[in-house]
Formats: sequence, C-alpha cells, structure tokens
Amino acid sequence: MAEGIDPLELMPVSRMARPLRALLRGWAGVVLGFLYLPIAFMVLFSFGESRTPGLPFRGPTLHWYQEMLSNGVLMEAVWTSIQLAAVATTLSTLIGTMAAFPLVRSGFRSAGAARIVFTLPIMLPGALIGIALLIFFRRALGVDLSFWTVVMGHIVFTMPFVVLIVSARLQGFDRNLEWAAADLGASPARAMRHVVLPLIAPAIVAGALISVTLSIDEFVITFFTVGPQSTLPTYIYTQIKFGVTPEVNAVATVLLLGTVLLLGLAWAAAGQARRLSRIFGRRRARERIG
Amino acid sequence: MVDPIPASHQPRARSNLTRGWPFLPAGVVLLVLFLLPMTVMVAFSLWRTNSDLDVVPDWTLDNYIYFFSEGTYVRTFLKTLIMAAAVTAAGIATALPFAYFLVRYVGQRWQRIVLLAVIVPFWTSYLLRAYAWQAILGEKGALNQFLMGIGLIDEPSRLFVYNDLSVWLVLLYVYFPFAALALYTALEKFDFNQLNAAQDLGARPDQAFRRILLPQIRPGVITACIFVFVPILGEFLTPTLVGGAQGALIANLIINFFRGLQYTTMAAFSFVIAGFVIVVLVIFRRYLRVEDVVARG
Repeated sequence: MAEGIDPLELMPVSRMARPLRALLRGWAGVVLGFLYLPIAFMVLFSFGESRTPGLPFRGPTLHWYQEMLSNGVLMEAVWTSIQLAAVATTLSTLIGTMAAFPLVRSGFRSAGAARIVFTLPIMLPGALIGIALLIFFRRALGVDLSFWTVVMGHIVFTMPFVVLIVSARLQGFDRNLEWAAADLGASPARAMRHVVLPLIAPAIVAGALISVTLSIDEFVITFFTVGPQSTLPTYIYTQIKFGVTPEVNAVATVLLLGTVLLLGLAWAAAGQARRLSRIFGRRRARERIG
Repeated sequence: MVDPIPASHQPRARSNLTRGWPFLPAGVVLLVLFLLPMTVMVAFSLWRTNSDLDVVPDWTLDNYIYFFSEGTYVRTFLKTLIMAAAVTAAGIATALPFAYFLVRYVGQRWQRIVLLAVIVPFWTSYLLRAYAWQAILGEKGALNQFLMGIGLIDEPSRLFVYNDLSVWLVLLYVYFPFAALALYTALEKFDFNQLNAAQDLGARPDQAFRRILLPQIRPGVITACIFVFVPILGEFLTPTLVGGAQGALIANLIINFFRGLQYTTMAAFSFVIAGFVIVVLVIFRRYLRVEDVVARG
C-alpha cells in the first residue's frame, strides 16, 4: 500500500524526533517480548523431556504430543469444547444479529439503557455470572447441570458481543439502499437477503469469531455451570491444580498453531479475494454496461 | 452521507425485521439467564444462612454489615481496588507509547500484523499463559536461572512469585492487549499534523502532546481504563495461580464462601463488587465502546 509521503513528516519538527522514534521502537520490542515470553515457555516445555516444566531444558521430544493423542479424557475435553463453542456461537450469532435490528431501527428511546444492559454481561465478573447461574439452575429451577446449562452460560456473555458489533455496523448502514431495493420491487425479505445481509456480513462474522474465541477459552462461567463433562479449560485447570504434565502444553501449542495457520489462510484468502474482485469487478462492470 | 429520502417518500410497509419481534429471543435470554439469576442473587444477599447451611428467606442486611464490619474483608476489597488501579496505570503507561509508535511510525501493512500479534495471545489458553509465568518467576524459573547465571544472586530467590508483585505483573500481562487495542483505535483517528501545527505555532512537544493529543484521545483512554480496571475487580484465577496466600483478592473470598456453602454472605460480597462495576459503567457509559476494543483485526 503506497501512501503519498506527507511533506510535513519529512520536516524535522524537533531535534528529539529521531531519538524518540528509536526509543519508541525499542519499547514496542520490549512489549512484544513481554507478550510472547510466557507463550514461548509454554511451547518450549511441550517439547521438553521433563514431567514438571522447569529449567534447564532437556529435549526436544515429541513424547507429550503422543501422550496427548492417546489421552482419551483430554481428547474428549477438546471435543466438548469444540461442540460447546459451535452450539453457543451459532445460537448467539443468530439471536444477537436479530436483536440488533430493532435495537438500532425502531428508534427506541431507551437505546442507551439497552446498551448498558447488553454491556453488563460482558463487564460483570464471570465468577458472579457463573455463581448466579449455578444457584438459579440448581436452587430456583432444580435442574441438573449438563452440556446445555454451559451452552446457556456461554450465550449470556457471547450474545451481547454480537449485538454490540452488529448494531455498530447497522448504525452506519445507509437505509436508502434498502428503500431503493424496495422501490425497484424487492420484497422486504429479498432486500434483506440481497442488500442488507451482504453489507453487514463482516460484522456478523466478526461477532461470531469473537464468540468462538471467548467460548473456547472460557473457564470461569464454564466451571460453575458445567455438568460431569469437562471442557479443555476446566481440564487444564484440574491439571494445574493436581500436577500438570506437558500434555496440556502440547494441546495449547497445537491450538495456537492451528489458529495462526487459520489466520494466515484467512489473510491470504482476503488478499486473493481482493485481487480477484478487482479483476472480476471490472469485467462484470463492463458486461453490465456493454 | 447521502441526503436521506424525505419521510413522506419512505415506503410505508416496513419490513418484518424492523418491528420488535426479532428482539424477543435476545430479550428472553437476557431476562431468564441474566436478570433473573441476578435477582435471585440479590435476594440471597438479603437473606440468611442457617446452621444447616440452608438459605432462609428472612430479610436482613446482616450480610452487608458483616462485610463492612470485618477489617480483613474491607482491607482485601481496598487492596483489590488499589491493585486494579495499579494495573490500569501500568497498562496505560505501557500501551500508550506502544500504540503511539504503531500509529505514527509503522506502515499500514505492518500495523495490522503487529495488531494481530497483540491479539493472538487471546487465542491460547488464559490458564496456561498465566501458569507459564510460574516457569519464569518460580524458584526453578527462568528469571532465577538467569540471575544466577550472570552471578547476581547465589541461590534461587522465592521473592518473584506468590506475592502481590507477581499478581500485578501477570494481571498487566493479561489485560495489556485490551488497553493497547482501545488506545490504538483512538490514536488511529487522530490527525498527527495537528501536533506539527501546534509545534510550528510555538508549542513545546510536551505541551502539544498534553493540550492537543490527550484531549482528543480521552474517550479511548477511558475505554482502556475501564477494560483493565473493571475485570480485575472480579479476578480470582491469576491470584490463585501466581498469588499464593498473600496475593488473594476480593473475588477469592467470594469463591471461598461459595466453597463453604455460605451462599448469602457470598451473594452480598458479590454485590459489593457488582455495585461498584455498575456505578463505573453508568458514569462512563458515553465512552464505553466494547465493539471498538474487540472487533479489531
């Protein structure tokens, strides 16, 4: 992306500018080091021979990766986490996207109040929400904790993210587009499908992605609302409490690698899509005109 | 923005989605899974636990009085507030230069990559990231090995972990990305030519920074503060993992009462925190834009 060079940036505004810049660059390095130091150790110990993580490092070995794959309990926990994230995200994306429409468009006088209500489940400590749900399920409703109680627990804090993100996008949405579609004879459903949804899709996807991320790693609310099964975070917690083995480091490393790969792919795909759309966009435009 | 079509020309038949019904599922979820459980908790906080550990619906303020009459609890609460403030201050102090550097001196493409690098840690287990600090700060940890290696200390020190300082450091580690993202979003909108202009007109760099830049990024700074300060009020995992006996925060007390089946006391303590959170959110509601922080990258 070549941006035009700003002539003002070239002027030495102050003699301090250059050293300041070097200082800031160093600081950014320190910050990134700080962020990745524990992750580096986490990954390192997944390849270590020793059962208890510590230095000096002996290895490398893939022993813990083999152990991880043959550990039925661990694999089941991973599978539960994936199912949980999938179900909770699907539901909260659906419910949250629907809710955003009347919230933005019906001219609610209490839209500000609604914002606070949707922000509360995000900002209130998870321990509070988890305990409140546990008491509510067990004492008030008298139901047993199960996979579905955790799903509900997760929806409580993932759905508000979807609502807020999709609402933000809808607020900037030019309704003339929709009205134009209606003028041209589109039914409301058709206008929704072909005009509105494609335009707010990035926000819906962003909301869903955040929902998956949060759900997969959520420990506190899960801990209080989960039945006999364990999810990956609750399994890791038990391991940390009662003697962790590098197997969990191996899982975390695989998860991290998987995500980075996925992100990389998405990145490449987005770039590719941009290039393609530039080519095809021009061709399609020409066809339409011609 | 294009001029809106005048109201008289807008189609009368509004699409189904503009009516209220799509809000219904979300409303039910909020009501049944959030507001109702919270109401039950409020009720619990005003009831009492009998000697059989059953909750008895006798209305009383005893649970709250108990909290404020016991020195240890009030001290732990104050300590939690101080801890949250200290982490927030450190978070802003570390994230502001970082975000400033990113916005001002790094090209678009690299900005996105570095931002992604700040977000990626969220994709790994919170528990394992916090736990990994034990391998750095612990008795056999990297820091001790390093200090012994360069001959600064002779034997491993136990001073680096299981105290308030280690809790502070790990909390800073966990919440830094929120601060960085909120500040980045604010700085991104700032036109840096204004700084140059101010200096052209005779302002010193620090004056330009204080009087031109800071006022314009204030909403972002407040968002960053809330996103670091508020969650720490309910933190019990990091203190459990790296805090030891000394590092307990208020939420650890809540968990203890929960384990001890003292549900009414627990509920009252929870609402002392919740009340605090709600007051902060209501005061700063104008500035709080959750989507600015989480929907980046």
